[in-house]
Amino acid sequence: MKCSLILAASLAFVPISALGQGVSDAQIAAIVVTANQVDIDAGKLAVERSSNDKVKAFAQLMITDHSGVNKAATELVTRLKVTPEENATSKALQAGGDKNLAHLKSLKDAAFDQAYIDHEYAYHQQVIEALDKTLIPSAANAELKALLIKVRPAFVAHRDHAKSLQSTSEVR
Amino acid sequence: MTRAAALAALAMSLSTFLLFEAVSMAGAADAAPRVHTVLIEGMRYQPEGLTVAAGDTVVWINRDLVPHTATSASGRFDSNDIAPGKSWTHTVRTTGEFAYICTYHPLMKAVLRVR
Repeated sequence: MKCSLILAASLAFVPISALGQGVSDAQIAAIVVTANQVDIDAGKLAVERSSNDKVKAFAQLMITDHSGVNKAATELVTRLKVTPEENATSKALQAGGDKNLAHLKSLKDAAFDQAYIDHEYAYHQQVIEALDKTLIPSAANAELKALLIKVRPAFVAHRDHAKSLQSTSEVR
Repeated sequence: MTRAAALAALAMSLSTFLLFEAVSMAGAADAAPRVHTVLIEGMRYQPEGLTVAAGDTVVWINRDLVPHTATSASGRFDSNDIAPGKSWTHTVRTTGEFAYICTYHPLMKAVLRVR
């Protein structure tokens, strides 16, 4: 646990909820797509680098599920004629994702698995907080708000899945 | 046969026919297989506990944005991938209590009871 805390602190997570006050639907669209994409990218790295079957399965799940969420989000904003608009939050998310990838690439074996899963837990928790405090309350379009509400349980399931892996001896 | 006897015989055969029909229909209603629905939504099976009769059909409908499965721990049934917006239909033949999960999201759990 102590190790997890140190690691989480060292990754310097982006304060999504603090950055995203009063965002527009176009900005929310960019935040959603970026949030999913950075986790897809981390998943691809973990599938490639990890030799732990449970970690690889989790990583593949992240690729599949977040691709599904992004597909639905992209279809919706296209239909609504909303053009995703980059903003401080989406840029910070991308920067955080890039930093995470760089950190993970410096690690191997069990250290890699542990860092990846720890980050996945913290990342999903942070996105859930952003959904609750900023994204869902700020969404103006009813369909976009409904989509955000619909995807929330997937983020919760992923966070809890990551937590169950954190307590798995093979990962720890 | 007198007219009264003929009417009595007709009434008896008619009542026998109606009784037979009534029993048949009641029996058919009891035995008729039913179709049950399990919604997969919000990363949950709804309902998480379902009791059905052998011969009934269960339809799992995936309303989430991600793929799921309905996979029994004993190996009795396995939907494999149910893509978003798709469903899987399974007719249950064997009685018993079958715990099942989504193989992708192992925290998703439910029970199908077949009596």
